[in-house]
Amino acid sequence: MSFTTPYFTLPKFVYFKPKNIEEALIMLKQHKGRAKVMAGGIMLVNLMKERQIFPEYVIDLKNIDELKKINVTENGIEIGSMVTAIELQNSKLIKEKCPALAKAASFMGDRTLQHTVTIGGNISVGMPSTDGLPALMSMDSVLEVRSSEGKRFLPSSELVLGIGRTSLKEDEIITKIIVPNDEKVMGTYLKFINASEVAIATVAVTVHHEKKKLALSVGAIAPRPYYFDNSSLQWNWEGSVAENIKRASDVVYKAVQPMSDAVAGAEYRKEMSKILTARALKEVFGGA
Amino acid sequence: MRTISLKVNGIAKEIAVEDNELLINVLREKLGVTSVKAACWRGECGLCTVLLDGIPVKSCMTLAVEADGKEVITAEGLYSDERAKKLMESFVKHGAMQCGFCTPAFVVTSHYVLSKNPDIDGEELKKELNGVICRCGTYYQIYEAVKDAEKYYKKEKV
Repeated sequence: MSFTTPYFTLPKFVYFKPKNIEEALIMLKQHKGRAKVMAGGIMLVNLMKERQIFPEYVIDLKNIDELKKINVTENGIEIGSMVTAIELQNSKLIKEKCPALAKAASFMGDRTLQHTVTIGGNISVGMPSTDGLPALMSMDSVLEVRSSEGKRFLPSSELVLGIGRTSLKEDEIITKIIVPNDEKVMGTYLKFINASEVAIATVAVTVHHEKKKLALSVGAIAPRPYYFDNSSLQWNWEGSVAENIKRASDVVYKAVQPMSDAVAGAEYRKEMSKILTARALKEVFGGA
Repeated sequence: MRTISLKVNGIAKEIAVEDNELLINVLREKLGVTSVKAACWRGECGLCTVLLDGIPVKSCMTLAVEADGKEVITAEGLYSDERAKKLMESFVKHGAMQCGFCTPAFVVTSHYVLSKNPDIDGEELKKELNGVICRCGTYYQIYEAVKDAEKYYKKEKV
């Protein structure tokens, strides 16, 4: 092996590190279709090493401080897309208001990588194994997407179209994730992995006890995460928790149509979705 | 080609690099910092861990240009830190290695962990160190060595 073979080197590109969003958006428009945005960069560097992508320009967002903030506004909790997995886990606000996301962040790569991995990067690659997206979907969050033409709001459930395909246009960047700011939120995130730590199935749950609202998302089993709410889970708030959990996990089992790949077979994924759903709901609601 | 300024283990350097060069290659090939080991090249094993502005990163997944204007600290640079020196001695004392290939990365990572929280224990400590893989499986000894070195980091704090 020489040091010119793939993996040791990257294809040629020109690197930019803009200081603000406007500058980044203009560069992205100028080099539309030939540029890639770099957030944490783990996936981008890996894909370039594997010679799967050959961007002519790489636009690094690490210098843009406004993307690294977590703010509370009248819209809700606004999480900048460049907030890292470590920051999500350490933030008191996120732990209290977005428990599913805080827990999902603890599964994004190993502890060292979590200093680098960002929530925006994690969801915008479009990989089925994303930890961030199921959590964000269970929280009914909305993404603020910006281009040099303006901004639009995209429900997190409409982000991913297929494996590696998202509804982001080539000149668009996710700038914020907006989560409803509710009281008494409970939630969790469970991940079932194989021996090489690749996700077989993941489940994110968020419950608003006061509003009597429940949302659940099953990820990693198909190109797009599945979304369930109160009505699709046939959740009866007056009924017993144990019965509700049994009914809800049966609903999930019947509804999902997983993919078969080198990681796991479809039937196994289907079964694990059901089991993880029951475990996650038990964790949140307590009881049997 | 562009010139980046990098402070490596306390010494300021100006180095000409390509935009697509990896930090690990610059450190090992151009600067001769060989405690930074290259193994998996895909961010899994963590043997290339360095402290970039005090935060552990995997240098095989980092572009050299990303580190422009920043400070890089590797195991060599930690030797001038009294606490880290004790930490390294603790690794030797507990035999926390077999082939020793992962030791620099474990020293760098555990130095970061202990300087942040010298009271860390049990599962928390194991989780903090899970970014580095030891193929010989000396995890138990590494855990003991890091636990043993906590006292030096506590002293510094008071």
